[in-house]
Amino acid sequence: MAPMELILELTLMPLVAFLVGMMMVLMMRRIAAKIQRRVGPPLLQPLYDIVKLHSKRTQISHGLIHDIGIIMAMGGYIAAETLLPVPGMNGIAEKGGIITLLYLMMIPSLGLALGVGQCANPNGSIGIARALTAMLAYDIPLVIVIFGVAYAAGTTNLVDIIAQQQAGGFAAWGAVEMPLLAIAGLIAMHASLGKQPFEIYIAPAEIATGPMVEMSGKYLGGLFVMQCFQLYTTSVLYVSLFLGGGSTWFDFLLKSFLVLAIPVSIAYLFPRYRTEDLLRLMWKWPVMLGLIGVAFVL
Amino acid sequence: MILTSLDELLLFSGATLLVALILGRGLAVGWMVTILYGGQLLVLIKMAALGYSDATIHASISFEIMGQSLSWRFDALSWFFALITVASALLSSWFSCGEWERSFKQQGGNVWLYHSAMALNVFTMLILLASGDLLSLFIGWELVSWAGFLLMAMAGGVATRAAMRYITYAMAGGMAVFGGIALVYVAAGSLQYEAILTAVDQMSTTQLWMLVVMFGGGFGVKMGLLPFHLWQAPAYAETPGPGSAFLGAISSRMGLFAILLVLVKLFGIVNIDSLKIPFTLIDARDLLAWIAVFTIILPTFTAMNQNDARHLLAWHGIGQGGYMLLGVVVADAMGGAGGLLHIFNHATYQAALFMAVTAVIHRTGTSDLNKLGGLVVRMPLSFMVLLVGIIGLAGLPPMNGFVSKWLVYRSLLNEGMPLLFLAAVIGTLGTILSVYKLIHNIFLGQLRIEHEQVKEAPWSMMVPMLILAAIIFITGMFPGIPLAWVASVQEVVGLPATDYTLGGVESVSGSLDMIWVIGVLFAGFGIGAVIFYSAGRSKRVHQLDNYAGGHFLSADVRYQYSDNFYAGLMHLIGGWYRSSFLWLEKSVTSLVDFLSLVMQGLYRRANAEFYLLSTALFVIAWVVI
Repeated sequence: MAPMELILELTLMPLVAFLVGMMMVLMMRRIAAKIQRRVGPPLLQPLYDIVKLHSKRTQISHGLIHDIGIIMAMGGYIAAETLLPVPGMNGIAEKGGIITLLYLMMIPSLGLALGVGQCANPNGSIGIARALTAMLAYDIPLVIVIFGVAYAAGTTNLVDIIAQQQAGGFAAWGAVEMPLLAIAGLIAMHASLGKQPFEIYIAPAEIATGPMVEMSGKYLGGLFVMQCFQLYTTSVLYVSLFLGGGSTWFDFLLKSFLVLAIPVSIAYLFPRYRTEDLLRLMWKWPVMLGLIGVAFVL
Repeated sequence: MILTSLDELLLFSGATLLVALILGRGLAVGWMVTILYGGQLLVLIKMAALGYSDATIHASISFEIMGQSLSWRFDALSWFFALITVASALLSSWFSCGEWERSFKQQGGNVWLYHSAMALNVFTMLILLASGDLLSLFIGWELVSWAGFLLMAMAGGVATRAAMRYITYAMAGGMAVFGGIALVYVAAGSLQYEAILTAVDQMSTTQLWMLVVMFGGGFGVKMGLLPFHLWQAPAYAETPGPGSAFLGAISSRMGLFAILLVLVKLFGIVNIDSLKIPFTLIDARDLLAWIAVFTIILPTFTAMNQNDARHLLAWHGIGQGGYMLLGVVVADAMGGAGGLLHIFNHATYQAALFMAVTAVIHRTGTSDLNKLGGLVVRMPLSFMVLLVGIIGLAGLPPMNGFVSKWLVYRSLLNEGMPLLFLAAVIGTLGTILSVYKLIHNIFLGQLRIEHEQVKEAPWSMMVPMLILAAIIFITGMFPGIPLAWVASVQEVVGLPATDYTLGGVESVSGSLDMIWVIGVLFAGFGIGAVIFYSAGRSKRVHQLDNYAGGHFLSADVRYQYSDNFYAGLMHLIGGWYRSSFLWLEKSVTSLVDFLSLVMQGLYRRANAEFYLLSTALFVIAWVVI
């Protein structure tokens, strides 16, 4: 591939992810509004919010690591997007593969954890402790699922995994071939988004929004950007593993939004779990489904 | 006589020991010893051809004892381990020069003993690594065990008790190894590697089983494999700072060296694979893999519950050993490479982490995770080193620990081992939780009022730490550098060699190129920084200017979350910590106690006639039969 073309792809992929991610935030809010019988925000509200937060007068910094944490939270996702193939663009997906992507997606969490840590607010620290515990909960079923898919495909290269599904048509989709893994993956994905009933680390009534307690202005703005990327990455990863990726942009976006709509719709119907209940749930049902699913694949 | 470069290395190492012994009470001995370690490293670099080929260098000296020849030689395997040993000794020794040494002396420490014990450790390790037959291997093994004891026991008090526990385990392990060697001698008629290699094919299953158990158990004790791991964490953690960095980096890997040499190279993974356990589906190799996996998980989750930074790190040292054994036991090209590369990677970040914690102890006087906090503003460079180290330990990009763990994961995936794969990832996740607690409780959160005047660690400590941090990052970006050595080691011990590139590995089932991954990651950070800094200017506030639910904060209010850090997790899994291994250890101890009491009672009660009679009977029986 020509270097210029690659550079173009590496620039476009995070940009697309950001734009789509903002629309996903919008969809999430609209769904919440529908369920709560409200009108919901206008089309450009996520963009307004990001611009507003970044141009606030009050920007409270608790030190350099606080700043760097936010940069890592955004930058980690920007980098991760280049490993996630979209229609027509593979970026450097073939140089990393799915395990690298999985671990690269932990960098933003690490950055956030460091930034929150320096805020010297126990509410934030408790939030991070809970967020890491949640990660321990949902990553276990998630890696079982990823093992199953990668073993069935015989590769950790996402480009190949998508190509295999598209070559075989609908019957070759991960969700059709490995339905148990697809269900387990959906549950784990829901928990990884940190939406109700799994929002144990935000918990406004207990720990004053946890990691966000000392975040003002552009710090919160950075987290907003991170959320756009997170929604995009999670749903696109699911589409790539189970729904045959996207052959066209329309196809791709339709699947991604639909997949995301499932956990988001469920989220606004439920209150919150306790930490140990989240662990218990994640380590029982999706793990069991995943292990049975893997047994079928082996 | 012309000295070979191995002679030079051993002489250099012996000279280092002599200098430490003779001049150890003089001025600047630390610097002298450090320079001599540098000399050893230069000799090793002169031998660098070993790391890229399957050549061997012999020592000029060899003995003949009771028909057994004793010889010493270096190949890629020895060179790889020796490089890590000497480099960690050099950096730990450098770290201890100057200010650390002075404060150690003020606290009543014995600097002469410290330097001599370090030099002795390096010297004996090199002798072990150079062993050319099983007899010299055993001699080296015992020397290393006792040298380690000296370093661990020197701090007195708790440290001596931990060291006594260590030497008990080590002696039991040594006995098992000796028994194994006797068995090999009976079966092969020789202790030379070549003779054993040919004899292995004729051995019966029972013989092989006994050898695997005896050598695996004996060497496993040094590595801290379950269930022989209890001695390691307290023994390493209580060793004086730079000593623990050195021990944590390489000492217990001597067990892995011996396992690689005896179980993998001499017996062969294929032979071990053929040993089935009756009535089950698993064989000896699966058994080793599962031992490795439990060695990953249990110590990692024990580490998470530690409240002392040094103990937390030492427990992780045991856990990371599991990844190395796991990779080696899976034994395909990627797994072997991952396991071997992890030895190198672990040495770099573990030394850096122990040094950073020692620097904190040097400045604040404590490593209690509930008595620190907020030090990042006072010790930013130490924070950075610790951060680099924990990213390596947790196995996240962009540091080197990620590459070796990635290789292990990939091999488990290729071989279709979901449960082992899952267990390896659980270990990593547990590590992430644990190391965040480490960095949070030391460097983040609220700065205590008594630490407001703390200064950054002195440069004599900072420079070796920064060098290690640089190595961790550079070998994370260019894993091809150590992978070249690893590939030669794989060839020497008879494992398939991996197809490496400068940036990682090339494979049809998914490649890894860290140069691209890291390049993109830093480009992402750059864009993030542009977005962040192009927004409005932020205002720096004091840590007490903080949300506290309607209360005012003042300097005397402790506003920090450090104890019972993962409370929610512990609600669920807290009850699973049952100290079963402690119970096992205690029951073995009391059994031995009981037996010795019985023996003693027999001895006291019996009279001379009884002894005479029984001896006479025994002699008659022996003659007649």
